[in-house]
Amino acid sequence: MANPPPPNGMNDLRKAWQSQRVEGTPMSIDEIRRKARKFQKKIGRRNLREYIAALVVVVFFGYRIWYTPDTITRVGFATIIAGLMYIVYQLHHRGSATSLPAEMGSESWLEFHRRELERQRDLVGSVWSWYLGPIIPGWVVLMVGLARTNPGHLHHFGLFLVVWNLVTALVFVGIWKLNQHGARRLQRRIDELDALQKQG
Amino acid sequence: MAAAESTQDELYQQAADAYGPALERLARSYEADPEIRRDLLQEIHIGLWRSMEAFDGRCSLRTWVYRVAHNIASSHVMRQRRHNSRILVALEELENMPDQPVAPDADRREAMERLAALIRQLKPLDRQVILSYLEGMDAASIGEITGLSPGNVATKIHRIKAILARRFQEEA
Repeated sequence: MANPPPPNGMNDLRKAWQSQRVEGTPMSIDEIRRKARKFQKKIGRRNLREYIAALVVVVFFGYRIWYTPDTITRVGFATIIAGLMYIVYQLHHRGSATSLPAEMGSESWLEFHRRELERQRDLVGSVWSWYLGPIIPGWVVLMVGLARTNPGHLHHFGLFLVVWNLVTALVFVGIWKLNQHGARRLQRRIDELDALQKQG
Repeated sequence: MAAAESTQDELYQQAADAYGPALERLARSYEADPEIRRDLLQEIHIGLWRSMEAFDGRCSLRTWVYRVAHNIASSHVMRQRRHNSRILVALEELENMPDQPVAPDADRREAMERLAALIRQLKPLDRQVILSYLEGMDAASIGEITGLSPGNVATKIHRIKAILARRFQEEA
C-alpha cells in the first residue's frame, strides 16, 4: 500500500501530527511504582556517598587533632572540620534540585523555570557565605598554629606559608569570580523570562 | 493511605489513557535518539504518576499533564545541552533561517519526521507553543501551560503558521 501524501493545509498538518503511529503506554502502574521506588533508593545512595565522604574528612582531620600537641593547631583543625560539615550540609540542602513533580504540575513552564534559575543563581552567587567563607576561620587559626610550632625554622617556613596562602587566596578569588560570572549569566536569563512574561 | 494511592493510580491511568499518545509525540519532539527517548518517556510517566498525589483540580487534567511533561522534558534538554552544547533557536530566528521545504514526493511519515526535527531545533518555550498548537490547543490553554500571555501566544502562533506553511505546504 502506498504511503499517504504529505499534509496539505494547516488543519491537515495538525491532523497528520496527531494521527502519527505511537507505540503505546510504556509501563504498567506497578512498574512505574517500582521504578519510582528505585529512583528514591538511588537518591538515598547518593546522599549516603556524600555522608561517607564527609566522614572520611572528619576522620582525617580528627586524627590530626588527636596527634597534634599544639592547642591552637588543634583548634584550627577542629574549626576546619566544623566549616566542612557546614559546607556538606549546605551542598545537601541547596544543591539538590527542588523540582518535585507536584510543583511541575502546579506551575507553568515560565514559573517553574524561573524558580529553578533563581535557585541556581542564589547558589552560585553566595559561594562566599556557604562554600568559601566557612573554611577561612579554621584555615587562619591553623596557619597561626603551624607558624607557632615551627619557630626554629620560621624564616623558611614563613616564606612557605606566604606562598601557600597566596596560592590558596588566588584559588578562592578565582572560584568566587567564576561563580559571580555564572550568577550574572543566570540573572540575564531570569530577566529574559521576566520580559517574556510582561509582553502582552 | 490506600485510598489516596488508589486515587493517584486512577488519575494517572486516566491521564495516560487520554494523553499517552500525545506524550509520546512530545518525547519525540524533545529527543531524537530512540533509546534516550524511551528513557525520557518513562521519566515523564513516572513524574506524572508521582505528581498525581498533589493534583487538586485547580487546573484541568490536560493542563496538569502537559505542564509536568514539558517541565520534565525541558529539564532533560537543559541537561543534554551541558554535554552536547547544541545551539537552540527561537521562533524569530527560525523564521529568518533559510527554508528547506519538504520535497513534493515526500510521504506523510517523512514529513512528520522533518517536523519533529524542526521542533527539536527550538528553545524549550517555543517547542511547547508549537507542540501545543499541533496538538490542537487554543491560545488560552497554551498560555496556562507555558505562562505566556494569550497575546504573546497568538504572536508566536502567527510565526509558527508562517514557518510551517513555508516548509510544509503552499496554501496553508
